[in-house]
Parts: sequence; structure tokens; C-alpha cells
Amino acid sequence: MLHQFTSHFLRHTAPSRRHLTPELLLRLVTPACALWAARAEDSPFADPYWGFYWPGGQATARYILDNAAIIKNRSVLDVGCGCGAGAIAAAMSNARTVVANDIDPFAVMATNINAELNKTKVETSTEDYIGKSCDDFDVILIGDMFYDEEFASILFAWLNRLSADNKMILIGDPGRHGLTEGRRSQMTLLASYELPQETRDENNGFTHTTVWQLNKL
Amino acid sequence: MSRVLVGVKRVIDYAVKVRVKPDKTGVVTDGVKHSMNPFDEIAVEEAVRMKEKKLASEVIAVSCGPTQAQETLRTALAMGADRAIHVEIAGAEYETLQPLHVAKILAKLSQDEKADIVIVGKQAIDDDSNQTAQMTAAILDWPQGTFASKVEKSDAGLTVTREIDGGLEVIKTKLPAVLSADLRLNEPRYATLPNIMKAKKKPMKKVSAKDLGVDLSPRIKVVSVEDPPVRQAGAIVPDVDTLVAKLKEGGHV
Repeated sequence: MLHQFTSHFLRHTAPSRRHLTPELLLRLVTPACALWAARAEDSPFADPYWGFYWPGGQATARYILDNAAIIKNRSVLDVGCGCGAGAIAAAMSNARTVVANDIDPFAVMATNINAELNKTKVETSTEDYIGKSCDDFDVILIGDMFYDEEFASILFAWLNRLSADNKMILIGDPGRHGLTEGRRSQMTLLASYELPQETRDENNGFTHTTVWQLNKL
Repeated sequence: MSRVLVGVKRVIDYAVKVRVKPDKTGVVTDGVKHSMNPFDEIAVEEAVRMKEKKLASEVIAVSCGPTQAQETLRTALAMGADRAIHVEIAGAEYETLQPLHVAKILAKLSQDEKADIVIVGKQAIDDDSNQTAQMTAAILDWPQGTFASKVEKSDAGLTVTREIDGGLEVIKTKLPAVLSADLRLNEPRYATLPNIMKAKKKPMKKVSAKDLGVDLSPRIKVVSVEDPPVRQAGAIVPDVDTLVAKLKEGGHV
């Protein structure tokens, strides 16, 4: 499957600017693609999470593009990069180095294709960084990863350690269950954006997305 | 902002021709296509619209049943519910699960989860009981807006338009409240693949009726389930006079 991925990916996605960062052209599963309305069992991919530009990831990418100074000359790790938009936005904001990381090898392949589409270059990694010290990075991007309590608590403990180690932690989230009031009280809200209609259509129930910075303990 | 609890039931799909079991204890469910009760889809849609209109902060879907109830909950999550609670009830206990049990479970969960609004379908298309909303409201001692065809937020609570015999009734309720969804409340959205995929990442908690302190011993005994009588064939008459004569003969006019 891995070697056929590119042709499958190109067949089942379409270039799109209909999201919060229209300056990025991203290949995504859009309403123009047959997959959009397919049943889960008809999808050639088990979990094509990289085929969507998640609302949390849209928020961090939008914020980076609007505030390029915070990224300039810094080294950035995009954890759970998915389609790669956060990493590409960081590269376009003149980050010194960018690593797009996802434990799904298809996600980093999608990221490479999308980076090329935007005439940028990012490094990729499928290593599981969660829990690691991340010495080589200044900025950590977390787009839409606070899904459930169990994972959120592991993620949050790790991010707090990184923050104590002077790293800037940017969290994008549309209001998921794991980003509880208690956790938000340890963060600073940087921006809130209204989601475009097409993003709403693929994220039933969500209308806004936000960017938070984790406070240093 | 309110927190909304929505009850969803997995039932035999509306397009399936239902067959009665030979021993007349119920209907055949093995190998039969199931889906979410259509009135519950309307309930989920209404809850998600409340969230999209910023009237609700969170939508929690609840289903009582065997493992397969999780499929129904995934559909609710794909439609826009934020998280799900699966109350696992299987085997003999599921066979005799009745609206009173479900109402007790929904009432307990509404309190545990601090819900302000409970929405369920007005009835399930399998047993047509039409009791869960009413019983839930009674147990919680909350006002109820049943057979809702329109729900609006007002200062004090909700304005609910109800479908009643011969027309519409508009009532005002305070919050918290229990609602049941009628057919014309809304048109439920179709869950597209992006939503189905993302629903897999949403949290689903599993609990038992025992965890909630609900006794599942049956209160109603099903005596016998019978097929409806087979419709007898009609006859074509040559003209109106013959028709009138036949009707008179049969004592119909």
C-alpha cells in the first residue's frame, strides 16, 4: 500500500483553498471527491485523517501566518501533522527548521506532497515524540489532539514538561472534550476564528476554532 | 449555555420487512439490518443545531443496548454529538428492556452529567411505546415538551410547538426540560465520510445499568407477538349499481 499511496492520494483528494488559510493550497478530501460521500467501508484507506484539515490545525496555521515573527528563525515541531498545514505554515513564516511529525506514515507522505505544492520544504518524522524531551525544538504545534480524557491527560503532562523547559506550546482546538476548563485555565487564549462553511460541513457541531498558548508553570 | 443529553436507540431499519419469530416471543433481529431510530436522528439533529446556534455547550449521546449500540452512537457522534455514553445491556436483560428502565437511566445520567435539556425521539419505530420522554420528565420532575415540531430559546426557557390532534399547541417551559422530537422538527443531516472518520476520535464511555443503580427487572410481560391479520383480496365490480347493491347486501350503507 505504501508504494501505491501517492497515486491513491492524488486520485482521492483535490487541491483546496477553502479553509482558514487560503494562502496554502492543500490536497484534501473535498465535496468534489467521491470519498466525501462514501461509506466508511468503501474507503480505500483505513483512517485517512491526513485527508482533512482539522479545525484545530487550521487555527494554529492561521495564527502562525498572521504572527510570523514568533516563528522566524526558530525550530518548529508539528506533532500529529496530518495534512501538514501547520508545518507548511511554519516553513512559510521562515522558521529555521520544521519537522512535520505523525506516527501515520501516510500523513507524512501527504505532508510532503502538500509542502511541494506550496513550494516549501519540511522535514518529516514518524517517530512517537509524545513523552520525549524535544531538545532540538523551540516551538511545538498541537493541532486538534485533545480528543478524549485519557489521551489528553498524557498529552497535557508532556506539554507542561516541555513548557517548563522554555518551549513555546501552541494548541489549536475547536472545543473538544479533552480541552477542559481546568486545562484551559493554564493556557492563554491567543485567537479565535469562525470556521468557513466547508470546514463546518465536515465538522458537524463546530463553528469556531481557537489557539491557546500553554502558560509556563 | 445548556448541556444537552440525547437518547438514541438502535432499531431494525425502517426499510426492513419485520418478521415475527415462530415462537411468538418477539421479532427476528438476527442478520437484520439495523440503524438509528429515525425520530432519534431528528433528536440528535436538533441538539447539534442548538450547539451550532450557541444555545448548547455540549451534546452527549446515550444509547442502551448490546455492543452494536456503539455503531448507533458513532452515527450520533458523526452527526455532531461531542461524546457518547454506552450503557451496556445485553442478552436476556436487553430482551426485556422497557421504557421505564431507559427513562431511569436517562434521568440518572442527566443528573450525573448536569444536563439542562434531554431530547429523545417521540417513539421508537420498533415497539412504538412513546413513553421514554414522559417517564424521564416524571422521574426528574422536569417540565416536558413532547411531540415537538419547533423549539426556540426564550428568556425563561424554551418555547415548544407541539403536534397534537387537530393542530399545533405552543407551550413555554422552564429549564431544565425534557423534549421529544416529532417528524417535522427538522431534517437530519447525512453523516459524510469526513464526519464519520472524525467521530472515531470522539470519546465514548461504557457504563452498566448497575453502575447507575438502575434495576432492570421487567415490569411488563409480553404475552404474545402476532403478525397483523393478512389483508383479504378485494373484488372488482362492473358498475356503480352493482357496487351499491353489494354494499347494501353487506350492510355497509
